[in-house]
Amino acid sequence: MARLIRSEKEVEGRVEEVWLVVDEDALDQWPAGPRTVVGRPTARQDAYARARGEARFTADLHFPGMLHAAVLRSPFARARVVRLDLAPALAAPGVRAAVGPGEAPGLSRECEHQGAAVAAVCADTFQQARAALARVEVTWEELEPLLDPDEAVARGSLLEEPRRRERGSLERGLAEADVVVEATYRTQTVLHNALETHQTICRVEGDVLEVYTSTQYVWGVRARVASALGLPPDKVRVVCEYMGGGFGAKNGPDDATFVAAVLARRTGRPVRCMLTRREEMVAAGNRNATIQRLVAGARSDGTLTALGGEYVNAVGASGWNAMIEGPMLMLYECPNVRTTTYGAKLNLPPARAFRAPGFVEGTFGLECLLDELAARLELDPLELRRRNHADREPGGGKPYSSKELAECYRRAEPHWARRDEVRARSTATVKRGVGLASQVWFGGGGPPSYAWIRVGSDARATVVTAMQDVGTGTKTTMAMVAAEELGIPVEHVTVAVGDSLRGPYATLSAGSSTTSSIAPAVRAAAADAKRQILDMARDRYGEDVAELDLAELLSLLGDAQILGTGSRGPNPAGMTVLTFGVQVAEVAVDVETGEVTVERIAAIHDVGRVINPLGASSQVEGGIVQGIGHTLSEERLVDPRLGQVLTTTLDAYRMPTIADVPEIVTELVDAPDPQLGNLGAKGIGEPPIIPVAAAIANAIRDATGADVRSLPITREEMLRALAEARERTRGAAAAV
Amino acid sequence: MELLRPSSLDELAAVEPGRGAFLAGGTELVPLLRDGLVETETLVDVAGLVPAGIEGTRIGAGATLAAVEADARVPDALREACRLAASPQLRAMGSIGGNLLQATRCWYWRLGYRQCRLHGGDRCLAADGEHREHAVVANDFCASAHPSDVAAALVALGATVCTTRRDLPVRDLYRLPTEEDRRTTTLEPGELLLVLDVPPADASVYLKAMDRKRWSFPLVGVAAVRRGDETTVALAGVAPVPWLDDGSLDAATPLPGTAYKLELARVLVERALAKLG
Repeated sequence: MARLIRSEKEVEGRVEEVWLVVDEDALDQWPAGPRTVVGRPTARQDAYARARGEARFTADLHFPGMLHAAVLRSPFARARVVRLDLAPALAAPGVRAAVGPGEAPGLSRECEHQGAAVAAVCADTFQQARAALARVEVTWEELEPLLDPDEAVARGSLLEEPRRRERGSLERGLAEADVVVEATYRTQTVLHNALETHQTICRVEGDVLEVYTSTQYVWGVRARVASALGLPPDKVRVVCEYMGGGFGAKNGPDDATFVAAVLARRTGRPVRCMLTRREEMVAAGNRNATIQRLVAGARSDGTLTALGGEYVNAVGASGWNAMIEGPMLMLYECPNVRTTTYGAKLNLPPARAFRAPGFVEGTFGLECLLDELAARLELDPLELRRRNHADREPGGGKPYSSKELAECYRRAEPHWARRDEVRARSTATVKRGVGLASQVWFGGGGPPSYAWIRVGSDARATVVTAMQDVGTGTKTTMAMVAAEELGIPVEHVTVAVGDSLRGPYATLSAGSSTTSSIAPAVRAAAADAKRQILDMARDRYGEDVAELDLAELLSLLGDAQILGTGSRGPNPAGMTVLTFGVQVAEVAVDVETGEVTVERIAAIHDVGRVINPLGASSQVEGGIVQGIGHTLSEERLVDPRLGQVLTTTLDAYRMPTIADVPEIVTELVDAPDPQLGNLGAKGIGEPPIIPVAAAIANAIRDATGADVRSLPITREEMLRALAEARERTRGAAAAV
Repeated sequence: MELLRPSSLDELAAVEPGRGAFLAGGTELVPLLRDGLVETETLVDVAGLVPAGIEGTRIGAGATLAAVEADARVPDALREACRLAASPQLRAMGSIGGNLLQATRCWYWRLGYRQCRLHGGDRCLAADGEHREHAVVANDFCASAHPSDVAAALVALGATVCTTRRDLPVRDLYRLPTEEDRRTTTLEPGELLLVLDVPPADASVYLKAMDRKRWSFPLVGVAAVRRGDETTVALAGVAPVPWLDDGSLDAATPLPGTAYKLELARVLVERALAKLG
């Protein structure tokens, strides 16, 4: 029975209260532990299709008469288009149409960052479109760009009012402290670099605009394209069957989407707009750089008395001032906390959400600070974290729906205990050490999301939901949940996703919420189908049908098919739903060359029930590899005078290779959250990347005594920190 | 675009010098064409003309890095320089001759900034810009760093190269760019590398510092070669050309952001010499 409820909806720290249509979620959770299907490692259903090249990504789609668009982007960090003449481009070979500023959302004369879209042309081939772009006549007025985040804060160039959060009194907390540590941490700008660049094909079929796109939010694209073009939403059909990664940069439509849509409507022909890798490096979003000026105070027994943070997010020309202070506010029981977060508005490409936005950066600062505090207190870093464990939301807030962080710490012990042996393997030039860092994040998901399931007399089922599988393997997760509920083999369940015309609404794949939001709806739909089947079978077999084999009951159906529907129920009222974890990193540092080698990372995470341990561990591995890139080698460099991106290719922008990947040990607590819907499952997409940088930096400190407070930890940063540590030791020796 | 495939060196000689660009493995030329850094309407496929075999001390300039890496007769420094270069895919395609002639990775040059001196402009954008990958020596006119691991190894080994016109030490293949002449090689238009002669050594090593474990150009690469009591050291990544270390590193002029490279170079040279025994 559907009803309307008022519920809190949270995505990556942004919370809003909304009215939602949900069904009663009356299903009891399954007991903890592996079931027949759920909880057992299961290979991706589309693994072979992907490996064989049969999976159809947006780039694989070709429509008769399709045109190719290219976008004219500002080469300057800040400029105004004084004059623009598209006529020469329109006269170029193969060109069919062109749009300029104001003619498609995202196209503007006022360019506040390099890569800002100004105009676009479409032609028979992509090469023709590119060649035509060069013929567009543009007169630019170059303007002085603002590039320094501290200067932006000083000048009041902010995206929004500074965000202040406070509980207790920071001053009082510092006064009560026996030990106070202060440090400034910096993180760099990194790029998502999904294998598949941003791309869209639009075509007009009758009065419907079809949008084939690489997206993390089928329904978000539908709503925003419809609204931007003044179309009724049902006249926009969004399709994303396969996707090659997004990491937060594809949470909604962008200039490429709108360019394709407008040009398709103008020409009446299908139009593809696909970013090149070089455009992707400039104009497709990033994890912004940060400056974090932090302070922590504690009593000599390690009890935190104060935490303070002045944060600067170097957001760029627009974007979102991510919740970098989240870890400081949420991870530890500390009575006195004050944070201020500035979102610096700069003439740099806009930040977009990137796998645990804010929390990756904020955890680096906070968890390094905790280790610096532990060193001053001469306290074991794991013990320091235990002593400040929050049993409910810090500052006397809401209870947690479930929290297994203490269990994570317990399971971390054997990995943590390796440090004597690891350190003992040091040589004269290669020092080894172990470090750890904790993690807190969202991931509980929430309504609304809906699923349908169709079951036939062959005892095979099709799950239909217009969600997207961004490459995580979540389709397989949905199949497992349906198979478990129906009692049929997972191979007998097909999952159809990624088509707004052919399935019900499903939420966006962000905030580690796909599984926790949509899988309960799938289970509800399967249970609904099962209920209908049993009801029907009672007419034939009487009351004992539950004992009978489903396949046998279904044989009654003949050509009829049962349709079950389900929705995501509400989140528990008055509770906070979060994910937790801890990682233990082992590193080797060549103290003469500054080479850092990550040798092992043990990742212990609490994400509620684990539906597919294989899919979950591959998410952990992917998060850690991406985290290692963030920690050691990746950095988007811009010219400090011009604000233009210098690292625009994959040889200049250094993501980790397989040779950079350490041994990764994944342990998941796998305790269902008893308060969280019919599965008790939370998301795991983001948690694994959160503690990586701090765990590695803390391991480096353990190995060498050097404080690395700036990412990435390149050779020069490592050598600088080592020299500083030597200087400090010398100073200390001189003082003695 | 036109593709010429001369079937002999004589036929090649008939092609007007400087017409088109020589194409072998294409791992360098194709990206340069795509980025508009090489502008030509003609490619001359020389893959069938340039020797690719390895015989005794002679290595065909058309040999792939993968082939050189795998040949036990090749001195260790050169094999190791090949092994640590690029990725297996690139090494399977790229020729050793092409590797010697690759352009700098300087982002200002690669992005086509016209002010860049190597593009004929009047300033070095890296010197007071972003330059962590740049030169520490001979960097006053242009701060670009030469990226070839293989070139450093060949310079240290004292290899010579035979072209369609002459024989010369590999070292002399390179020149520092000047106000009058911005080129970084001494090759004349239409001149093609054919064969390398790599004299044997008693011992040789190549050590490399890079930003990740594989598939990176050298921050610093050090090749060291010993013949009897004599040792020779050459470096990659420290100057606009492969750099023979004749004590000149002591007079290095690192930029603010490249001082760490000098530290790296000193450590790697010391380690390389120690490894020579």
